[in-house]
Parts: sequence; C-alpha cells; structure tokens
Amino acid sequence: MTSSWFQDPTLLAAMLGALLPFVSFAVIMVFTRPYPKLSATISVAAVSVSLICALSLLSRHWHLEQPIQYTAKWLVSGKLYLPFGFMLDQLSLLMLTIVAVISFLVQVYSLGYMAGDPGFARYYAFQSLFAWAMMTMTIAPNMLQFYVFWELVGLASYLLIGFYFEKFSASEAGKKAFVMTRFGDIAFFLGLLLVLLHFGNLNIVDLNSVDVTARMSPALITLSAILIFGGVAGKSAQFPLLTWLPDAMEGPTPVSALLHSATMVAAGVYMFARIFPFFSKSATAMTLFLAIGTITMLLASTMALVTRDIKQVWAYSTISQLGFMVMGLAAGSYFAGIFHLTTHAGFKALLFLCSGVFIHEYETNDFFEIGKYGGRGLKVPIVCMTLAAAALSGLPPLSGFFSKEAIMGGLAGLHNPIWLWAGLLGAFLTAYYSFRLIFAILFPKKIEEVHHEEHGGHGHGHGEDHHHAGIYWVMAWPLIILATVTLVLGFFHTPLENFLVGHHGGAEGHGGGHHAWLLYVAVGLALSGVGLAWLEFGRKGASQVGFVERIEPVKTLFAERWYIDHFYRLFLDYVIYGIFSNLFTRNDRRVIDGGIDGICRATVGGGRVLSFLQSGMLQYNLMVMFAVLALVALYFFF
Amino acid sequence: MNSVQSLIQPHVLAQIGFAGVVALILAGALIAVFPRSILYNVLGLIVCLTGVAGIFVYLGSPFIALMELLIYVGAICISIIFAIMLSRPLHLSLPKRRLPKVGLALGVGTAVFIMLSAIISRTEWQPAAMRSSDWSVTTLGTYLLTRYDLVFEVISLVLLVAILGAIIISGYARRSTS
Amino acid sequence: MNSLYTYLFLAALLFSLGIFGVFQRRSLIGMLIAIELMLNGASINFMAFNRFLAPDPIVGQIYTLFIMGIAAAEAAIALSIIVAVFRRLRSINIERAQELRG
Repeated sequence: MTSSWFQDPTLLAAMLGALLPFVSFAVIMVFTRPYPKLSATISVAAVSVSLICALSLLSRHWHLEQPIQYTAKWLVSGKLYLPFGFMLDQLSLLMLTIVAVISFLVQVYSLGYMAGDPGFARYYAFQSLFAWAMMTMTIAPNMLQFYVFWELVGLASYLLIGFYFEKFSASEAGKKAFVMTRFGDIAFFLGLLLVLLHFGNLNIVDLNSVDVTARMSPALITLSAILIFGGVAGKSAQFPLLTWLPDAMEGPTPVSALLHSATMVAAGVYMFARIFPFFSKSATAMTLFLAIGTITMLLASTMALVTRDIKQVWAYSTISQLGFMVMGLAAGSYFAGIFHLTTHAGFKALLFLCSGVFIHEYETNDFFEIGKYGGRGLKVPIVCMTLAAAALSGLPPLSGFFSKEAIMGGLAGLHNPIWLWAGLLGAFLTAYYSFRLIFAILFPKKIEEVHHEEHGGHGHGHGEDHHHAGIYWVMAWPLIILATVTLVLGFFHTPLENFLVGHHGGAEGHGGGHHAWLLYVAVGLALSGVGLAWLEFGRKGASQVGFVERIEPVKTLFAERWYIDHFYRLFLDYVIYGIFSNLFTRNDRRVIDGGIDGICRATVGGGRVLSFLQSGMLQYNLMVMFAVLALVALYFFF
Repeated sequence: MNSVQSLIQPHVLAQIGFAGVVALILAGALIAVFPRSILYNVLGLIVCLTGVAGIFVYLGSPFIALMELLIYVGAICISIIFAIMLSRPLHLSLPKRRLPKVGLALGVGTAVFIMLSAIISRTEWQPAAMRSSDWSVTTLGTYLLTRYDLVFEVISLVLLVAILGAIIISGYARRSTS
Repeated sequence: MNSLYTYLFLAALLFSLGIFGVFQRRSLIGMLIAIELMLNGASINFMAFNRFLAPDPIVGQIYTLFIMGIAAAEAAIALSIIVAVFRRLRSINIERAQELRG
C-alpha cells in the first residue's frame, strides 16, 4: 500500500492535493502564526501544489470511463462498513479543479487585500483549513466522509465570517451562519441515517445505482431525499434558510468570493449533483426542490433590487444563482446545473474580487458612494466587473450566457411552463440589478474630485504609495485571469458536457439549442433588464431611483428580506428562548446542578453519618450493634 | 360457692399468684423504663426486681429469690438512689426526650424481642435425660466451694476490684475537678 | 406457669425493655437501671432452664448468683463513673459525654 502511493500518480496527486492544505493549516496554527509573511507563503505554496495536482488530475483523466476509487477501512460495525478515501469521477474532478483554481486565486488576491491585517497568519490558516476540507469533501467516496468534511467546511466558513471577531456584527453573522446551516445539516444527517438504516450503505456509487429503488420504498426515498436536501438548503442558502448568506458578507471580501459565492455555498448544489441519481428517483422530491429553487431565486432577486451595499447585491445574486442551479438540477438537466455552477464560480468570484478592490480603495460598501468617489477610475476592476456582470446577466458570448441557456432549456423541457417563466423573470431581474450597480459606479450623478488614486486607502500612508501600487497589481492579476476564464469558459460547453455526461447523455443537456425562440427571449429579457437599468441609472440625468424604490411598501418588504429574519427572530424568541432555553435552564439547574448538589449533600451527609459512628454517642453505637445482631439472627433463623 | 371453693384450691392460687408476679414484673419494668423522673425509675426497678424474686420462688429456688431481694433491691437499688442524690438536684427540669431517638430505640427493642421470641419458639427445648432432683442449699454451697470455687474466687476478686475502682474513680474525679 | 415458654418469653420481654431503656434514656442512671433489667432477664432465663431442662438443678442457681455478683460490681463501678462524670460535666446526660481524652 505504501509503495503504491508513489507508483500511482493519480493517488499521489489526490493525496497531495487534498492533504497539503491541512498540513499548511497545522503548520501555521502551531508554528508560524507570529510570522505573517511566512504563513502566507506556506499557505499559497500548499494551495499552488493543490492546484497543480487538480489540473494534472483533470487533464490525466479527461477521458475517464469508470470512477476511480481509493478507500481504506475506517469503521466496521456489524454489517456496516465505512471506508474513507478518494473517489475521482468527472464531477469530483471538475469540482476539485474549480475549488483549487478559485482558492489559489483568492489566496493570491488576499496577499494584497489582507496586507497589514493583524490576523494575517490566522487568515491564511483558515483559508488552508477551508481548502483542505472542501477538497476532501469534493472527492469523498461516501456520504459520511462527505458529511464530516461538509461540517468542517461549515466550521471554516464560521471562522472566516467571524474573522473580524472584534466587530459585533461579524461575530453575530458568524453565529447566524453557523446555526442556520446547522438546521439544514441536522436534516441532512437524519436523512443519511435513514438511508443507512434502510439501505445499509453510504457509498456514493451504490447510492446512485438502481439498487436503491429495490431496497427502499418510494416514500422512504422521498423522505430521505427531502431530509438530505435540508443540507443543501442550509449550505446553499435556499429558501427558507437563505438569510444567513447576506450577513455572511461581514467577513473579508476575498472570503466572500471564495466561500460565500464560488465554492462553499456551491457545495450544496454539488451535493445535489453528487447523488443526483438518488434524488431523481423521487419525482415528488424533485418537484419540491424545483419549487424551492424557484422561490429562492425570485426572493433573492427582489432583495437585490433595493440594497445599496455592493457586497449584498452580489450576495443576493449568489443566492438567486444557486436557486437557478437547484432549479436546473431539479428540472432534470444534470449538466446544466453543474455547468452553471462552474461558470458561476468563475464570474461570481470575479465580481467579489472586483468589489473587494473598490472596498479596499474607498473603504465603503455603498456602490453609490463608490461611484461618487470616482470608482470608474480603477480601470481593471471596473472592466472586469462589467464583464462579470454581463456574464451574470447571461449576455452572450460570456460564460453565464451558455450555462443559463442550458438551464432555461432544461426548464423548457418541463410540462408546466410556470417554471420557465419564473426562470425568465429571474433572468430579467438579474440583469436589471447587476447593471443597476454597474451603472451606478460607471455613471454617478456627480464625481467628487478627490484623488483617490494617490490618496489610497486610509489605512496606508502617503509614503507607502509605491507599495500600494504593488498591492493593487497583486489584486488585479487574479481578476484578469478570472475575467479570461469568464470570457472563454462558455465555449467549452460541448467538451465539458461530453466530459461530464458522456456522448450519449446529450438529449436532456443542451436544451438551449433546440429552442431557438427561447434563446432570443432570454437574451432579449436580459437586454431589456440592462436597458431598464440604463434608463434609471445610466443615462445622463437619470434619477438613479429604481422602479422598485418608488413603491415604498415593496421597497421595505424587499429591503427587510421579506421579513424572513423577523420571522426567525420571533421564532427564536418564542420557541427557542421561550421554551427550549427555559427547559434546558431548568434541566441545568434542577437536574444537573441539583444532581451535583445532591452528590455533594449525600457525601457530606454520608460523612456526617459515618462520623456519627465515631462521635462517642454510646447509645447509637449500641443501637446499631443490637439492630445488626437482631437482623443477622433473624436472617439466619428464617 | 363452688367457684370460690375452686378459687382457693392450691394450684389455682398458685396460678393467680404467678399472674400477679408477672404483672408486677411488667409494671415495674415499664415504670423503670418510661417515666422521665429518675426516682420513679428506681422505684419501678425495685418493684420489678421484687417480681423477679417471686418468679425465682416459682422456679423452685427460694434461696436465689432471697439473694435477689438482698443484693438487687437491698444493695444495688439503694446505691443507685445514693448516686441520684449525689449527682443531680431533682427539682431541676428533666431532660427532654427526642422522639426520633425513642422511635429508633423502640424499633431496635422490638427487633430484639422478635429475634428472641423467634429463637425461643423455633428451638426444640430438650430436657436432659437424667435429671437430679437435688435443689437444696447445702448442695449449692458444696458446689460453690468445690466445682465452681475458681469462679467463686474470681467473682470475689472482681467485687473487690470493683469496690476499689469505684473508690478510686470517684476520689480521683474529685481531686481532678477541685 | 409450668411451661418453659412462659418464662422464656417473660425474660425476653424484660431484656427487650431493658434494651429499649438503654437506648432511649438520656441519663446515665436511667441506663444503669435498664441494664439491671436486662441482667434480670438473663437471670430468669438461667433459672428457667435450670428448672425445666438442666440435668443438675444447682448449676443454674450458681450462675444466677454469679450474675448478681457481677451486677453488684458493675453497679458499683457504674455509679462511681456516673458520679465522676457528673462532677466533670455538671450533668449525667449521656449525650454530652462525647469526649475521648486520655
């Protein structure tokens, strides 16, 4: 076994890629935390190796026929056999590559963005932790390992959201994200248990085989699918667990780019795709997922219409795009969902990283302010962001166009046209809110003549200008790479499809080609969204007031996130604090504290009783003697 | 008339006497144990011991009955009364009873009684095969000075030591306190 | 009257009452009185066995005599101890007599 590690390049690459970030995390946490530069170097080096491994794996196994599995025994309990190890198939290879690429770019970008932060080393440790957890999760061969690393990813997310833990809102957001995703994960775990109990196996390959229908009744499959989907809803911020993601933007912007748009939140969708055949065995569950995806997409889109925070806009758009992916998958077009995941990872990371440059530069999150300060002066980010926004809106020939078309094609294949119309409405809204932001930065009402280029961020003094320029380019390079990816990825549509679903599975995949009218309608809607945004925000003398903002109650409704948080607040106050906390407190006081006190009291009392024997109370001593004598005699005589 | 006649028949008289003696013992014992006044207890003890002496008569040993009266009633009870007079002014308030203690004592006492009665009723009491009928005081004296003379001597020694000890203890206590 | 059991039960009763008294009394003299009761219970037992069972009806009587002797010695010692305790503690309450000191 040990020798084969080095003889088999695939295994070696997988192990290196998955484990090096963990080594880096451990090394940084244990040894090099006081040295920020060294820590960052270690982490970036580790993730570079991971990237190289992932790319080599992808190229090596481009024509993969069978999934490659390497497993070792982990747990054996009765008939239950739980291995851990790696499983490489098309899906996991693709996801591994996405994760590695985005992680690498974000870590490089963070060299600039986080420069001078007191928690620099800690930041890189957490980044490494995340990279390790996410990659290992991606190539997990069974659902239990998947679940373990799924939770580790959640932990990394929590740590990174609450990275500025001295800020109250950040630590609160971290907690909220953790707790809300946990709700989903409870359901996920219950679902896994259900499967384990009735199917007796958690291997992904077995789970996806036709065996499942033979061993589990349809109702059971539906139930467990819905439960497992709870995990998806939590991680990918689907309705009703969607409100944690906007708050998670409290973390550093590169973190938002990496975790909360491109990779971690996509983990939910990835999981959906991972056991897609299992899910698709229950039509009821699939319809439910479709509805959830649609609701999520529309809700998040409407929320994005009114916010003024640049990161919030992208956060909402992330949620709505995730909803899109879920819709695509639930509509049955496996490839469309994953393709959208891939392209979305690219352009959404790009959007966040660009926003990061603006935020870093102007130290405000409000994009109207950024526009006012002359945000368009930053050439690279604004060009890249426009490009990415166009991709997000689904304008040809960018990557988003192809993936969205694929999903639309999938939706069009359904009997009920309502899903398609909802999807088209979502596309329109997406185009509108994306370009609302872009135009607000590009064509602000009036530009305050402040020389921010020279001034730089407030955190940097004038003497550091040269250094500052270096930082700018460190941050700019990943943008350019991602922009290139966004530009060209769409043209890899067919090769990717062939890679993922094989040549035979094309029928459901590229629906876009079969519905020419749909293509025009979708692009037309996207363009009209852009046009509306231009009318309201872009043209000279535009009011810069969106059509939604003119209707006060609707605006409030959207800005308050449809009152979902209020509902949770009430729920929390009345159910959790009112009932459970009370119960648990009582349990704590009465049972646990009382128990301990009881033990103490019993000990003291016992001591007192025992000391009584030695207290010289003659009569009691005698009494005990005679009582024992009497009892012993009675015992022997009867 | 017939019933009176039958009442004064010897064995009926003996029965009545026996019942009286038992009643005397029990009443005396109860008085000796229950009242809180120590003087009543001593008087109860005297009554009880007198009853025990009566029992000894019924058991065919008037000599032991006499000794009982002599030693117990005449010596021990009197010395107890002396001790009472030496120790504690009688007009002071009596110590209170504590109910749990009384309850416990009652429980243990009952348990012991149950145990004893169980043993008594469960045992098959076998009289010795050969029983001599020699109850005389002469034989008693002979036995004491022949077969049991060692015990007799030891008892005398014990008594001597006890008396000496009593003197020393009370005398020593007086010295140490004063 | 002519049954062994009557005497034995009488003795057991006396003994139990003595035990009860020993446990329940708080004064040393009360306990001494109760102990006398117990001793008498034992004496009655000896005499009863002597009367009904023993091969030689003298032995029981001798034992009873010895018991009386022991009781006398015990009473003498106990009373002197009581007097000493009283002098020391100004009380003959047994519950106060808890100190062990050489």
